[in-house]
Amino acid sequence: MTRMTAEGDVRVDDVAIRFKGKDGPVTALDRTTLRLRPGTFTALIGPSGCGKSTLMNAIGGFVAPSGGAITIDGAEVTGPSAKVGVIFQQYALFPWFTALGNVRFALRRFGLPRAQEIERAHAALAEVGLGAHAGKFPQQLSGGMKQRVAIARTFACGPKVLLMDEPFGALDAQTRLGMHDLLMGVWQKHRATVLFVTHDVDEALLLADDVHVMSQAPGRLIRQYHLPQPRPRAFNRSGSELLDIREEILGLLRPEGVLAAIH
Amino acid sequence: MAVSDLGDPPAVPRRGARVMPLGLLAGSARVVRPLISFVFVLAIWSGVGAAQLVPETIFPAPWTVWNATVEMWQMGTLAGDLAVSLSRAAIGFAIGATLGVALGLMTGRIALIRTLLGPFLSLLRPIPAIALVPVAIVWFGIGEGSKYFVISYTVFLTVWFNTHHGMEYVPEIYLRASRSLGASRRREFLTVIIPAAAPYIFAGLRLGVALAFLSLVAAELSGASSGLGYRLQEARQYIRTDRMFSLLIILGALGASVDMVVHQIGRKLVHWQQG
Repeated sequence: MTRMTAEGDVRVDDVAIRFKGKDGPVTALDRTTLRLRPGTFTALIGPSGCGKSTLMNAIGGFVAPSGGAITIDGAEVTGPSAKVGVIFQQYALFPWFTALGNVRFALRRFGLPRAQEIERAHAALAEVGLGAHAGKFPQQLSGGMKQRVAIARTFACGPKVLLMDEPFGALDAQTRLGMHDLLMGVWQKHRATVLFVTHDVDEALLLADDVHVMSQAPGRLIRQYHLPQPRPRAFNRSGSELLDIREEILGLLRPEGVLAAIH
Repeated sequence: MAVSDLGDPPAVPRRGARVMPLGLLAGSARVVRPLISFVFVLAIWSGVGAAQLVPETIFPAPWTVWNATVEMWQMGTLAGDLAVSLSRAAIGFAIGATLGVALGLMTGRIALIRTLLGPFLSLLRPIPAIALVPVAIVWFGIGEGSKYFVISYTVFLTVWFNTHHGMEYVPEIYLRASRSLGASRRREFLTVIIPAAAPYIFAGLRLGVALAFLSLVAAELSGASSGLGYRLQEARQYIRTDRMFSLLIILGALGASVDMVVHQIGRKLVHWQQG
């Protein structure tokens, strides 16, 4: 596989995002600088409403920064593109298409002959274990299955960067664990630079190469951890260091912890 | 890789097992319940008729109405009126619905057209169809043109309004998904925005059908020489309440059946909208 390409280099340079609120401008994201190295998996964790999703929306090109710049492989982000795939918590599958149709939608931009497009869509669904459900509509699938279709759909498009906004937040704990394995498998095969927003510390520590912790609103990055532990990880066999980091992050996420880190 | 053991069974069979019998019950209730109501009202009506509490010329009994229906059928006027009225409603609906969907797609997505036309069209909506008849007659004469105009105009406004709103409420997340999957604006419009608005468009078409029948009668009440609405007017001149009742029942039944057909077509085409 072409895994060592240096594509998917994300640089967030001094970006701030403000919205117009009822009583003047509201700062959703304080000046933030962040680099995502090509092919790495970064988790972004913080209290709800801290601006994690805002930062993600800016990288996805859905929200324009009020200051600073975001570049991917040297090109400034000016809007959504197929280079940046997005996995939404609410799946965002098109209910008028079958699972296969949803994946074909993503493949359409390659202009493949019909038969080949269908074949590739089937292969993408098989990869996430849904080969037998290609003809089903999203509303006939469970939450975990929908998110697997969404993962297949997004990877089918061949993104260099993958943004995941609390992708497993709506799933039960059991399904979540299965989804972690699945995501790791698909990601290691396709390689993309992943930014994974979550409020689940364990999820971040089990999946990511780098973990960034954000403060309460207006959000800013307050601490960063690099995790060299080999995957698949588990708290009982990946060393005590993970547990120490876990304690630290949980401390930071408590309101008083955040204050202490700022001052 | 093997991921078939993720432990999340498909949602539908699980839910289906419990809902199916209920669904069947609901299905038969849909047929039986209206029948109960019809039989009930017919029984009271027959009772009133048999007791002769009210003169027949004012309030005819069910069998008198039935006889009037048979009479109109045998004279040949009923079949002719039905054909004329249905074709007026159909042509008026087709013109109005086509324009309504087309313009709704435009005002829903193109800011300039929305600014130019949206508020004006909203202002037209409260004007009742019957108020347009005099204008229509001046513009199009008493021929078919004025009928088509009145019907298509009312259908147009309703279909436009619903299409327009459907376009405005396309969930942002679909657009984000479509753009991040590399869809062109054209493909996004055809395969994301229109399907997302389709439930609203169908709701508008369904209302449009009902309005086509309402405005049909308005259009035929003045300046027509055939059609169900004209025949109602004619029955008034001869004080034939039995014929009036017959025509009213026919109009009701026609409207309800066409509505049911449109509803079923809509359910098939926007199949994802249930539940």
